Amino acid sequence: MAEALRAGDERAFRALFDRYHQVLWRTARGYVDSDAVAEEIVQETWLAIVRGIDRFEGRSALLTWMFSILLRQAHSHHARERRSLPLSSLSSDAYGEDGCSPDRFQKDDEAWPGHWATPPRPWQKPERRLLSLEAREHLKGALAQLPERQRNVLALRDVDGAPAEEVCTMLGLSPENQRVLLHRGRSRLRAALEEYVDQAGL
Amino acid sequence: MHPDEVTCRQFIELITDYFEDALEPPTLDRVEEHLVMCDWCVTYLEQMQATIAALGELRTEPTHREPEPEVLSALASRGRDRA
Repeated sequence: MAEALRAGDERAFRALFDRYHQVLWRTARGYVDSDAVAEEIVQETWLAIVRGIDRFEGRSALLTWMFSILLRQAHSHHARERRSLPLSSLSSDAYGEDGCSPDRFQKDDEAWPGHWATPPRPWQKPERRLLSLEAREHLKGALAQLPERQRNVLALRDVDGAPAEEVCTMLGLSPENQRVLLHRGRSRLRAALEEYVDQAGL
Repeated sequence: MHPDEVTCRQFIELITDYFEDALEPPTLDRVEEHLVMCDWCVTYLEQMQATIAALGELRTEPTHREPEPEVLSALASRGRDRA
């Protein structure tokens, strides 16, 4: 593929574009405030890929190299926008990397150490949709507030449905590392939805 | 409680590996045994599934699905340089 790009092969390029434009855009979208700016970032990325393909030495996968360019463009736009990171309103931030606050579980001196002290309550599913519009906005906000690498993994795996192996290549992660980031991100988002459900009194 | 049983607190940390088919016996067996016995952890698992499904509902697509003209002309000039 790199050779085809160097030769200016439009069909090969379009195949690459069709396959990866979506996921590049999804990743870029997490760094900026609008769909349109994300679009700009990705088009700049494609341009940089076409112009810079001679510099690709094959030491990493082409896809990894492509994503490294994307992230560079995304960081640059993010810095230019000078977005102030929104203060996290998630109480789940208070307990670091635990999937769920340790307070929710019984302590060593209690009857069943490690078992639920405050168990999760089943969520009522409103009608057919999994989430109301309001809950969805809450989830979007929580996703946007995740640490960068967790957000990228969740956006690619769970929003866009990209396969695990490909996400590892895109982001330069080992399978274990990817699973850890996936786990932490999903745990935070579950907690965010739980908080929403509790507050909404559903 | 047997020392090699999975507690609820352990379960929630194993759940992603469970979904990813990254658990092997005996841990996998312990997790499945725990789910048979613990309705609360089943609830947690369902919440996790709902969260993942909800994320999938956020999927939207970029408006433009075509490379910009500038990209295509940069590509074309590569072809010309090669020729």
